[in-house]
Amino acid sequence: MTSSPTPLIVPVGAAAGTATREDTTADAVHGLADPWVTIVWNDPVNLMSYVSYVFESYFGYSQAKARKLMLQVHHDGRAVVSSGGRERMEVDVQAMHGFGLWATLQQSGKQSGAPDGARGAA
Amino acid sequence: MTPFRAMRRGYESRFEPVEKAVLAKVARDVAALLRDESGLGPAQRPERPWGPDGGPRPATPARPGAGPGGLRAPDDLSALGIPTDGELASLTGMTGVARVPSDPAALRLLPDASKDDPDVAAEFRHLTQADLARSKVTRLENLAELLDPRDAPERAVQQAGRHGAPPPVRVPREDAAAVAGALTDVRLVIAERLRLATDEDVERLTDEVMWDNEAGRDIPAVDDDRAATRFWAGVFVAAGYAQESLVEVMLADLRSGQRTGQPSDDAESDG
Repeated sequence: MTSSPTPLIVPVGAAAGTATREDTTADAVHGLADPWVTIVWNDPVNLMSYVSYVFESYFGYSQAKARKLMLQVHHDGRAVVSSGGRERMEVDVQAMHGFGLWATLQQSGKQSGAPDGARGAA
Repeated sequence: MTPFRAMRRGYESRFEPVEKAVLAKVARDVAALLRDESGLGPAQRPERPWGPDGGPRPATPARPGAGPGGLRAPDDLSALGIPTDGELASLTGMTGVARVPSDPAALRLLPDASKDDPDVAAEFRHLTQADLARSKVTRLENLAELLDPRDAPERAVQQAGRHGAPPPVRVPREDAAAVAGALTDVRLVIAERLRLATDEDVERLTDEVMWDNEAGRDIPAVDDDRAATRFWAGVFVAAGYAQESLVEVMLADLRSGQRTGQPSDDAESDG
């Protein structure tokens, strides 16, 4: 993910280096009732502002939550952005692909989709 | 190109004629690539050579799979497609055959929905690829029409609207997400062609292009591989600039509309 291509426009993620990191686990996405998750993966092309826009406009997340997820994608390479039944996650993944973000779905218990434990956050 | 600004009838930006022509051409090429690679049929309307308002003027009539001479890519945008696939689809009447794209750029636009479960990925592709490819093709072609309409009389009317200066590019609010998405797809394809793999790759390339712009150097004529790379870098940055400024005003509108009733579920301070 990249920020603004020109210095004329302040990137949304300009303050990334000072962002709050205490609460880095994705919100409430590992409940047993939600067996599948949608994961968005980082790429070098999509703009931070655009990823925030996608999370706010599609999921209806607040600006703060969208920003936190966007930064998690940016810094950790991925973030769990939604959870639910498989069909629901297929809808979300299709929507993310429509926006041009690379997303995958998987069962929530699988290791590769779990939050990165090496980050050392509580 | 000026940043998009929120106006009463939509988001507006001023493009140089060459910027419109080049972005429209690339958008049409990406649409053609997607048609070929996803198994959708070929475009219904025959492509025409570039419009009269400036920019490189390739003599070759564009056809999906045949790159125009004036816009040579490091790898031609659609040369790697399999033209017989679209032709087959139109012959058999079967469109939307969910084959895995062989071109890495097309695969990036229609990616696997699972990294480790081929069955999940295959089923997802079967269910969604045709719809996804079709919607991407439509919005790419709409972006091209917005920037460089094929309909010459309409263009004449538009250009008569204002003395001297060309009319602004106006994106109606209801179309803005589709335009931003099309710009994303254009950038994803160019990035794949330029083999931009990391954030640092993109930042370095952006710096180079901006440095050239500040030094007053134009987009170079495409006469060798290095110049071609530079040309595509310029298109990549221009598309990113358009997208960034468009998304900024979209976000401003979205947030001002969402203020009421949106639960604040995070206490994170904003930077």
